[in-house]
Amino acid sequence: MISTGMYGIDDMLGGGIPEGSRVLYSLDPGVDGQLFMISTLFSALERGQSCLAIIPHTTVDAFLHDIGQLREKEIRAADHRMVFLDSVDRERIQRSAPNRAAAEKEWQTRIQRLCTDNDVEVIFGYFDIIYEDFGLEKGLRLLSRDCCPPKSTIIIEHLNFEGDTFLESLAVRKSFDLILTIKSSFRPLPHFNYFTILYTSWSTQLRRSVPFLVKNGHIVPYIPKIVVTGPPESGKSRFVTSATELGVSVDRAGPGRDATTVAMDFGWLHWQDFEITLYGTPGQPRFDPMLTVILNNAMGVILLVDATDHGQLARARHLYKIVAKMHVPVVVAANKKDLPGQMSEEEIRKEIGIGKSIPIFLISAHRKDDVRAVLESLVDSITRFIY
Amino acid sequence: MYSYKTGIPQIDQATGGFDAGTNLLILAPSLSLGEELAYILTKPLPGEYSVMLSTNERASEVINQFKAIGADKSFVGVIDAITKSSTPTITDTGRFMFVTNPTDLTGIGIKFSQMVEAIFDGTFSGKETGLFPPPIRFCVNSVSTLLMYRKLEVLYQFLHVMTAKLKKIEGFGIYTLNSEAFDEKTVSLIKQLMTIVIEIKVERSDNYFRVMGIHGINADWHKFTLNRGEVVMAL
Repeated sequence: MISTGMYGIDDMLGGGIPEGSRVLYSLDPGVDGQLFMISTLFSALERGQSCLAIIPHTTVDAFLHDIGQLREKEIRAADHRMVFLDSVDRERIQRSAPNRAAAEKEWQTRIQRLCTDNDVEVIFGYFDIIYEDFGLEKGLRLLSRDCCPPKSTIIIEHLNFEGDTFLESLAVRKSFDLILTIKSSFRPLPHFNYFTILYTSWSTQLRRSVPFLVKNGHIVPYIPKIVVTGPPESGKSRFVTSATELGVSVDRAGPGRDATTVAMDFGWLHWQDFEITLYGTPGQPRFDPMLTVILNNAMGVILLVDATDHGQLARARHLYKIVAKMHVPVVVAANKKDLPGQMSEEEIRKEIGIGKSIPIFLISAHRKDDVRAVLESLVDSITRFIY
Repeated sequence: MYSYKTGIPQIDQATGGFDAGTNLLILAPSLSLGEELAYILTKPLPGEYSVMLSTNERASEVINQFKAIGADKSFVGVIDAITKSSTPTITDTGRFMFVTNPTDLTGIGIKFSQMVEAIFDGTFSGKETGLFPPPIRFCVNSVSTLLMYRKLEVLYQFLHVMTAKLKKIEGFGIYTLNSEAFDEKTVSLIKQLMTIVIEIKVERSDNYFRVMGIHGINADWHKFTLNRGEVVMAL
């Protein structure tokens, strides 16, 4: 397997990209996704693999400077096994070739010569200008094993103006072993970038979409807001504390009773290469106006209930109705499984009024393993969500 | 909804300015005042921002042009598709971003998004005025040059995305196209993406414009000149 060079993505792909694959990183116009290709390029260079970069939109010097800026790291071709075909080569080919067929032949000859002379293992190609110059079929052929060494891995970045239909047609034709799209959306967050693993030839996993941010020159899968809500004393603050590495809770102790959350709980964790922020709501009905504010822009919700307190379920049912209107993934965690008198999953499901599609976990919020299982399920649902 | 003033009395008096989300094509022959008019329409008024995609002039020249017409350069951003070809190591700043050449539509799109994001985040100029959404004038100077580097079909798709984005962010898009350099099909295809077209002609060294696409304004030719960043109508 070859690493994509990106946190979390290798795991989602089952360890990386099989050698000899053809990969498409498809960028929607204006979406800041150039770091996907660059990360894979850096990964190949760091492993000492010999790389050919086909960059018809720019010059070698400008390209090296740009990728160095993106990765916040200076890069010099001389330090690596790296060769290029750039915009200067394209101009020369355009000037010397009498027609399109001759130009295509010249590209093919140059790619083959560079690959042979330099034992190229990984080819990185920026496709949209090649597509424009030669059309889809011939363009794809130039960046295929017809022209490149049979065992080489081919990574292609394309600016996609033609939408999902174009990509689906490539997936149906099995033109690529991996199609990963990079897009932006305005829902459920005001503006965020996300990538989708649209197709892989080596696994049958469902498509997954994951928001990401760029941090220190790296792509980081990112879930900016998961809300933990539930009736009072169901264990929300404990849940957030157990789940996160850093956090704060705004509580107030009442006379003769434990502290209750009066504003919110807040926690942050880095888990399975995701950066996740948790927001815990107060449970008292008087805070319900705040609940909708905290729920705003959430990407997923954990509804916590006390599995030993039947009297809480009416409140949980009310909260679930509010949450269901958000149309985001929900997981129910039935807390206090370590105490006697707990209800069954079926009973809780029936009383709250939730369907079979929503997972319920019987947990103890004191146990980190239980808490992480709930998070894992919700993150899985969020990554399967269609934005 | 925000209205973008044009500085052209006929238009501003009749309409109160262009609605947010308007995309305007300036169709002008060579050696006319088309480009200067584009600068005037792009000049940020108080509370506004401007982003210029320049395929003809370096960022420094673009800024000088804006300064000459009295614009506050703190509110002007430039995506320069010229300088990087000769100075590959030039580095982006918040207000000046560079792509190697006008073929790089991926880079242009990303730089535009980054600038708009900075404007929306309030980190663009250090003198933010607080209007939200921030009014942004965006000028492509020029579509003619882009057409020399990319095929019409691809450029149409690119401009389709840009004009749609301008609508979404409630901006005002200005695009210049040389009316003499392209065939009717090309001009007509680009026009399809626009809300309004300002056509310019030159007769005996005098410039005339007419406006098409605004309800209530006829398409008569008006003689005009420019003076220190102002559009002056000739009597």
